[in-house]
Amino acid sequence: MMTAPTAAGVQGTPAALIPGYVAPWPETARDWLARMLVFTGICAILMPIAWILLTAFKLPREVYSLDSALVFTPTLDNFRTVFEPPWNLGDKIVNSLVVAACTVLLAIPMATMAAYAFSRFDFRFKQALFLVVIASQFIPAAVVVLPYFLMFKQIGLLDTRIALVLVNMSIVLPYAVWMLKGFIDAVPLEVEESAMVDGAHRARVIAEIVVPTALPGIITAAVFSFTLTWNEFLFALIITKQDALTLPIGLIGFRTERGDLWELMAAGGTLITAPMFILSLLVQKQFIQSLTAGSSR
Amino acid sequence: MTQISLRGVHKAFGAVHVVSDLHLDITDREFLVLLGPSGCGKTTTMRMVAGLEHATQGEITFDGRRMNEVPTRARDVAMVFQNYGLYPHMSVADNIGYPLKLRGLSRSERDAAVRRAAARVELEPYLNRRPRELSGGQRQRVALARSIVRTPRVFLMDEPLSNLDAKLRVAMRAEIKHLAHELQVTTLYVTHDQVEAMTLAHRVAIMKDGVIRQLATPEQIYDDPTDAYVAGFIGSPPMNLIPVHAEGNEVRAEGGVRLAVAPPRAGRLLMGARAEDIVLASDRDALVDAEVFAFELLGDSTQVTVKFGHTSVALKGERSLRLAMGERIGLRVRPERVYWFDADNGQRIRTAPRAPAMT
Repeated sequence: MMTAPTAAGVQGTPAALIPGYVAPWPETARDWLARMLVFTGICAILMPIAWILLTAFKLPREVYSLDSALVFTPTLDNFRTVFEPPWNLGDKIVNSLVVAACTVLLAIPMATMAAYAFSRFDFRFKQALFLVVIASQFIPAAVVVLPYFLMFKQIGLLDTRIALVLVNMSIVLPYAVWMLKGFIDAVPLEVEESAMVDGAHRARVIAEIVVPTALPGIITAAVFSFTLTWNEFLFALIITKQDALTLPIGLIGFRTERGDLWELMAAGGTLITAPMFILSLLVQKQFIQSLTAGSSR
Repeated sequence: MTQISLRGVHKAFGAVHVVSDLHLDITDREFLVLLGPSGCGKTTTMRMVAGLEHATQGEITFDGRRMNEVPTRARDVAMVFQNYGLYPHMSVADNIGYPLKLRGLSRSERDAAVRRAAARVELEPYLNRRPRELSGGQRQRVALARSIVRTPRVFLMDEPLSNLDAKLRVAMRAEIKHLAHELQVTTLYVTHDQVEAMTLAHRVAIMKDGVIRQLATPEQIYDDPTDAYVAGFIGSPPMNLIPVHAEGNEVRAEGGVRLAVAPPRAGRLLMGARAEDIVLASDRDALVDAEVFAFELLGDSTQVTVKFGHTSVALKGERSLRLAMGERIGLRVRPERVYWFDADNGQRIRTAPRAPAMT
């Protein structure tokens, strides 16, 4: 029988001989297993993204060839092509940017005020109302997309950025209110009361005390809302047709009668992902800070 | 420069009555301490003065002017909070200067005033720091500086020292006392610490269950408590309150131990005596014989806890006193220093001065 590495035996008996004793794994082995698991997880998440990234720099004939799966001469042709007619991805980027930015700029101040009210004021049916705000997001998007379509058709807003901003606000606001309430809850009430005693009107307390204190949270909510809007697909698919097309909808355009243009789709996908990737890198510090806010003190 | 009056003030949160029919006058430049255990309504009372809570009933006036409907920002009070209430995103200088900014003072006017206020509490080296980079005592000083950067009508302090460690608390207590003396502003101070109350106050209001039990100077409260609750709350150690039964001229403690003292009346009573008024005595003229339960050296004095029957009593001894645990000793109380209370409602039973009734 083998001698266990940690032979803390009873009166000289090797540990491995004690009935029911299971030798612990050598630490290095456990560490390696843990690393393997993490590595596998990372691969599973990153592989598709890496594949898209690689494909975006390939020539059409290289896309389907296994020989050039990893080894090929990268080209920027695809990125040139997608900005040219008939694809015109530039217009779609502008649409996506305008829609996402407007949604965030409108939704975050509104959500902040609503969250402040939910956090600080006492009013009738407060709990129920807050629940309704959240519950509105449990309704499948597919259920409401048709009414939206008909409404926008009626008022002539089909295929406009305004319609997209309105729809996205309805998606983003509940999440933002919910997130921001948590961050405003974490602002100590004493801080606000201090400001009132010092002579500040409530509006000023919110602007100069609450918002700056909750800023990491507000930025987090803004980034989250921006991402949600940027990636939104279903509503944009139904509501837009030509003028207000967004990037995700632009991607479907690469499924043509000539077949799926994978290399162009990959280039478009890279263009969608890259800004979000950079944005997340920029705000990562803020985000982590807000996740751990209030853990000390 | 402000006299505060509370007239029949009542505060209820739903069905819970926190403050009931409170009448309180705080005279101009007075330092009044609201003292009581947690949940006694003292903080709520202060918050009503600040306007952070609305009185359910009654009237609050500053110099005769009704303040109930005046919002907090317009009351011109300064408040120091238990958890400091500093603005985490502002520098120390901006924290202190915020009340002035709200009053529309220019940057240069503000800087000068901030510097003066900071100098008063020795914060000048820290003006550019953020609150989170300061120690608890320094944070508390920022809160103090912010309250004295302008001259408010009223200072409100809500347990300002309770988050500090014992040593710092003593130092800050002296600072607050000095500041209050210098600034001469009407001050309402809330605490559960009787030492703070005794050392700082011109007058102390002892609260329990939303009612003021006694409002008097610290000396009066210590020497002449109106009821057993006040007597047992003040002093360290607090007054000994010995449950006794009086019949005729005989007083017996629980367990049947006879005490050589004359009762004011028959029935169930509480006999009160402060630790420093109880002295060791020879067996002959002792009030009672007791056994030493614990003997503690305090440095400047000694404290002895003795037991007789089921009763334990604390007394203070000379610095040089030495007793062994379990030793039997005799106790004596100066008769004019004995307080009597009704055991049922805690009310003081006042006795006319009389000749010593011992032996």
